[in-house]
Amino acid sequence: MKMKKYFFLLLLTVQGVIAQVQFDAKVSKTTLGINERLRIDFVMNVDGDNFIPPSFDGFRIVGGPSQQVSQSWVNGKSSFNKIYSYFLLPTQRGNLTIKQAALEYQGQIYKTTPININVTTAVEQPRDPNDTSVSVDEALHLVADVSNNSPYINQPITVVYKLYFSYNIGISNWRELDKPKYNNFWSQNIDIKKLVAEEGTFKGEKYRYVTLRKVVLYPQKSGALEIEPLSLDIDVELPTNRRDLFGRVLMTRDNKRVSAGSRSIQVKLLPENGKPTDFSGAVGKFDFQVIPSRTTLKYGESTEINVSVSGNGNLKLFNLPKPVVPSALEMYDPVHTESVTTPLTGMTGRIADKYTIIPQFKGNYTIKPLSFNYFDPSTKTYKTVTSQEIVISVLDGPTSSENAPVASENTVQKNTIAPGDQFKYIHLKTKLKPTNRKSILGSNLFYALVVGPFLLIPFIILFKKKKEAIDGDTVGLKLKLNTRLAKKYLSEAKKQLGNKEPFYVALEKALHNFLKAKLKIETSEMSKEKIKEILIGKNAQTDTIAHFIELTENCEQARYAPSSSVAMQHDYDKAVLVITELEKQIG
Amino acid sequence: MKAVLKMKKIVYLLLFLTQLVWAQNVFETGNEHYRKGNYEEAIKSYESILKGKKESCDLYYNLANAHYKLDQVAPAIYYYEKALLISPNDKDIKNNLKFAKAKTIDEIKETPKVGFEKLIQSFTGLMHYNIWSYLSIGFSFVFLFFFIGYYYSQSSLYKRIFFVGMFVIPFLLFFSLFSAWFEKEQDESVRPAVVFADVIAVKNEPRENATDAFELHEGTKVFVLETVENWKKIQLTDETEGWISSDAIKELK
Repeated sequence: MKMKKYFFLLLLTVQGVIAQVQFDAKVSKTTLGINERLRIDFVMNVDGDNFIPPSFDGFRIVGGPSQQVSQSWVNGKSSFNKIYSYFLLPTQRGNLTIKQAALEYQGQIYKTTPININVTTAVEQPRDPNDTSVSVDEALHLVADVSNNSPYINQPITVVYKLYFSYNIGISNWRELDKPKYNNFWSQNIDIKKLVAEEGTFKGEKYRYVTLRKVVLYPQKSGALEIEPLSLDIDVELPTNRRDLFGRVLMTRDNKRVSAGSRSIQVKLLPENGKPTDFSGAVGKFDFQVIPSRTTLKYGESTEINVSVSGNGNLKLFNLPKPVVPSALEMYDPVHTESVTTPLTGMTGRIADKYTIIPQFKGNYTIKPLSFNYFDPSTKTYKTVTSQEIVISVLDGPTSSENAPVASENTVQKNTIAPGDQFKYIHLKTKLKPTNRKSILGSNLFYALVVGPFLLIPFIILFKKKKEAIDGDTVGLKLKLNTRLAKKYLSEAKKQLGNKEPFYVALEKALHNFLKAKLKIETSEMSKEKIKEILIGKNAQTDTIAHFIELTENCEQARYAPSSSVAMQHDYDKAVLVITELEKQIG
Repeated sequence: MKAVLKMKKIVYLLLFLTQLVWAQNVFETGNEHYRKGNYEEAIKSYESILKGKKESCDLYYNLANAHYKLDQVAPAIYYYEKALLISPNDKDIKNNLKFAKAKTIDEIKETPKVGFEKLIQSFTGLMHYNIWSYLSIGFSFVFLFFFIGYYYSQSSLYKRIFFVGMFVIPFLLFFSLFSAWFEKEQDESVRPAVVFADVIAVKNEPRENATDAFELHEGTKVFVLETVENWKKIQLTDETEGWISSDAIKELK
């Protein structure tokens, strides 16, 4: 009985062992990159029914479910396994939870425990060295090679777009999706006539590559400039792991978009230090020449001045200096010629301005030297090239006389030089004067000299008046003298009463002087008629006049005729009487 | 004391005379250098006369010619203009100035002045104001002479002539006086100058960083209107105006 009881117990335990149901979820890893796959196995040791997988939120099922059943007998003991497998790809990063799966067994529902999965960023996936299939991502690379990441303004940089592709893929076609725009750059595309595959290494691996596009860029602005990416759509043929009947690798066609990432270029300003004020903007290495076609010409002929710059640099991006010519030379607008090629190293060649000059007048004219300056990025200095001075001599031409005046008619005031004009020789004689001569105008002397004559006028008038007054006085004096003389001779006559001759001479003189004084006449003017006339004119009485005349006659006669002293006394008395009477009457 | 003064005067006079003689000699050596083509030597001689505070229109003219021969356009024009200031109607100077101007680069039109003032100026400009001044002094004396003639002459014919003359002369006197003043006024208000700098940018404002109005080249004649520090407001013959650095030009007066 006791044995029976033990057996039963044993049986029970065995039963219990057998009946233990296990249902678990196993993941290949709990932390994985977003680009990795996760395998999850739901393992049970019973053959359960109604397996319900969880919803796998945050994952995408890439494989599965696959079912696997195994049963084995070991030492008479059987074990059973049933596995449901899923391959999951995380769709998002972060902590994800795989929820419970459920299973029904003998009416009981069993569930697994939820599993937390940490999804990190993508991780580098080790390549399977045995995998001969090629991923497109790794087989195609579009690269933009920029020659210089920090050029100066106007210093050329080149951008070369190369498409690297591995040896085992084929490219059947490519299309440009997006042509890059080079804003703030002067760009020159270098045409590639035929795409040639070359060999090269890319990231340490051997690749083939084709150069798709070459561009020379001249930055026109300082600062960070963006070069837009180039995008291509490429049809590729990829080898697969499969082989055809003959063992050749089967190819699949695929389509891939590649893009050379946008590049930023730091453009430096040209140094301010030593920058010429009239800097043309030329950057590179140049030679500068100004060559006249001829320097001696006749009137009416023309000459050409060729201003040219040759070398390497931004030849198309600056202007040539313009010669300045005297106004006597007429210069026409230049003819610009460019012979510039643009290889990958930048523009090289020659630009030239050809000016036609027609002289207007005879003479020697100087065209000042021109200077051209440029920045040499190799030495980081500014350089100036100065041309030679040009002297253009215009000889007299036979047609100059006809043309010169015609040319001058159009302009109002032009420094026309008539054909007959000659440059005059110096003056040989001069009168030197002190430089800082004072002007007479405004000086006191000037005022005195201008006003003086006017001030003199009153003096002149005064002077004349005075002189007349003095002149008037002399008449008076003369009269006075004459009366005095008359009186003197009268008194003398009185003294000479006895002597006939002196008496009558004195008496005559007395009478004459009286007449001189009173009538203002001279002795030479005296005649009896005149005396009479004057005396009548002076309102003298006729008998007094008669007495006077008689007296003068007596004086004349008595000198030559005998006369008595009585007669003398009588004549004397008479003279005194006539004189006094005349004095009264004439006044 | 008086004797000493007199001595001094004589010494000064002698000095003056010797200087004049010396200057004349230098002028002639200058001419000789010019004749031989030693223009630089000629310029040196002429300039030494100028340093001795002596001048004449011929001296300036010769100096200008020497500069012209050496292709120094700006000094040539400067001295021609200076010579013309002394004798404005000299044909040789005007002729050679034309040659010098043909070598200048700027071609500036001359806007003809119009109006009453120009009319007057064209007449008063015939003579220097000093000559007008002497003329007015002369007229003043002529008036005095006419007055005396009128006042003293006995013949009525002469008296009439002088009397009429006495009425005409004051008009002439006042006219010449006015001309002298007018010319002097003109002379003082007009400040011509010549650009000496090869190329100079004329600014809109008297500032270094002001915008450029236009460009002038050497030998161009300008008129100075105003001065602000080392900037001068200039007017061209075509009446455009601008500010120029004082160093770039040289004033004639």
